[in-house]
Amino acid sequence: MRNAASFRAPKVSLRGGTPPARSPWRGGGSLAAGIGLLLLFPLSSPDAFFLDVFTTGFLLAAFAASWDVVGGVSGQITLGHALPFGAAAYACALLTTLAGWPLPLAVAAAVLLAAAVGAGIGAISAPLDGPFVALLTLALGEIAHEAAVGHTFFSGPGGYAWGGEGGIPVALPWRDASPFSSYYAALAFLCLASFGMLRFSRSGTGLILRAVAGSPITAQASGVPIARFRRLAFAAGSAFAGAAGAGFVLHVGRATATDLSLELSFQAATFAAVGGRGTIVGPVVAALVLHVLFQGFSLPPSARVLLYALTLLVTLRFFPGGVVGTARDLASRLGGKDGARPPRRRVRDKPGEGTP
Amino acid sequence: MLLDGLLTGGTYALMAAGMALILGVVKVINLSHGAFFTLGAYVAYALAGRGVGSPIAAAPLAAVIAFAFGVFLGKSFVNAVRSHPFALPVGTLAFALLFEQAAQMVWGPQPLSIEAGAPWIGPGGLVIRRWGVIAFVSSAALLGGLKWLLSSRPGLPLHLIAEDEEIAGSLGMDVEAIRYLTFGGACAMAAAAGALLSPSGAVTPTMGRAPLLLSLVVVIVAGMDSVAAIFLLSIGLGIFGNACAWLLSPQWSYVALLAAVCLLLSARPAGIVVPAGRRD
Repeated sequence: MRNAASFRAPKVSLRGGTPPARSPWRGGGSLAAGIGLLLLFPLSSPDAFFLDVFTTGFLLAAFAASWDVVGGVSGQITLGHALPFGAAAYACALLTTLAGWPLPLAVAAAVLLAAAVGAGIGAISAPLDGPFVALLTLALGEIAHEAAVGHTFFSGPGGYAWGGEGGIPVALPWRDASPFSSYYAALAFLCLASFGMLRFSRSGTGLILRAVAGSPITAQASGVPIARFRRLAFAAGSAFAGAAGAGFVLHVGRATATDLSLELSFQAATFAAVGGRGTIVGPVVAALVLHVLFQGFSLPPSARVLLYALTLLVTLRFFPGGVVGTARDLASRLGGKDGARPPRRRVRDKPGEGTP
Repeated sequence: MLLDGLLTGGTYALMAAGMALILGVVKVINLSHGAFFTLGAYVAYALAGRGVGSPIAAAPLAAVIAFAFGVFLGKSFVNAVRSHPFALPVGTLAFALLFEQAAQMVWGPQPLSIEAGAPWIGPGGLVIRRWGVIAFVSSAALLGGLKWLLSSRPGLPLHLIAEDEEIAGSLGMDVEAIRYLTFGGACAMAAAAGALLSPSGAVTPTMGRAPLLLSLVVVIVAGMDSVAAIFLLSIGLGIFGNACAWLLSPQWSYVALLAAVCLLLSARPAGIVVPAGRRD
């Protein structure tokens, strides 16, 4: 991140002309309250099922935020974001089980691999714009998914055939993680990852990425090497997606082809669309609310994807700026504010907003 | 095998022509095109279960149903969000997934098959699938009809809108209506192709993905102007896909198509003839 922020081209100082980077703690009150509630939740001795739903929800939320780094902040609409997620998941599983690496090393390698994968996708898709990025990433993701489904390409010790639909298990150093510790670990991961992504999206680099998203031509004319920044956004977003994937595989204990599926990529895009693209926190909230809502009623998977698709269509049709963004526009219009004040950052904590 | 690819490709051309029509007139990439293909196949399956075993009968019904859905989608979604570059690909993909999941809930995820009837034995002991030939002939006829329509007077508004929608609007054409009608018509073409091809393979909820990619490749390479080029290229790709499936394994033809999309997109980033830059 550092080296890209210091690219040589612009004659204007990047920091000089722009407002000082906003502290990520802005509007943090309601956020802190939300985190507090989530911290308290396990103490109300809920069902283990709900703890599990929330744990998965935290990891999905981090994944959705990582989509937003690519698709929202840098504006490259990716529909293959499950690729780094699943790549990290598979790397974790293969490295621990087949190669016998210690878990922390395997996780680090998986995250690095995800970042590399992301940089690769970013490099290929950098010259493209708009729907063609979506098309290309969709195709890349589907290739990876087919490769994972179609091959029992490794056979493990003991003669099991691994891969294919059944997936590959992860060798975990612990037996049965208690649902409480998984819950808190996932929550801590989500907080850390979101904080990191928020910092990234509001840093000088993030600002440049937003400029590139807003108008690639203007950005290029002012000397921004847009290809490099797009690659960087993909690498950063994919690294976080990989971290989420590694976390997911640690929680579930098995890397399967669903970790690479189009449906997963699509879910991330849905969360971002509902929560408001480019806000990082919006997708996190949307992911938590939608996931807990749909999973909490233990709907079958196909019904869930159907509901996600329906939610997305309704959102795109009636709230093109995302539910949260539209609500914020409306609020600021009702409040009679002109554009001088920066948009309020606090409207996004209403839990009911994500409902279709 | 080659002949089979030729027959299949000819029917795919019908779908690809629909894709090209949408890209040309509505100027969007319709990722839900494959869903309409699947819809057609399921309509044929449902009819076959009720004793109407002929895809020829199923194709018009599927086309009418798809036209209704397509007009709905075109009118209430695509036309409304056309100016949002994010909403279109993601939204049409959402519709495709919506349909896939609905099909899975109604008919189940398992592959279904339709009784195809005895194959014909051609000269020299050549075995030809009966419905392959019928599908090929009817798609070729439909494509010929499309070509005639586009070159005749009723096709003029389509050309004009593809060329310059503002002039078309100022000449008193209802651009919006023509757009969603075209969208519906193109979806109907995809569904007819799906119904015609349904006896040649398994009917599954995700069967539309491969034809969708095939149409994308065709449209990227052949452009949107020439129906004949689309037809020939689809046949070529049909043969290619069959060769892949036969030499390696069926799923390789899907992967090969995906790889073709990737290669084409990275080789010709601006090569696709979408006048997107004109729209501000």
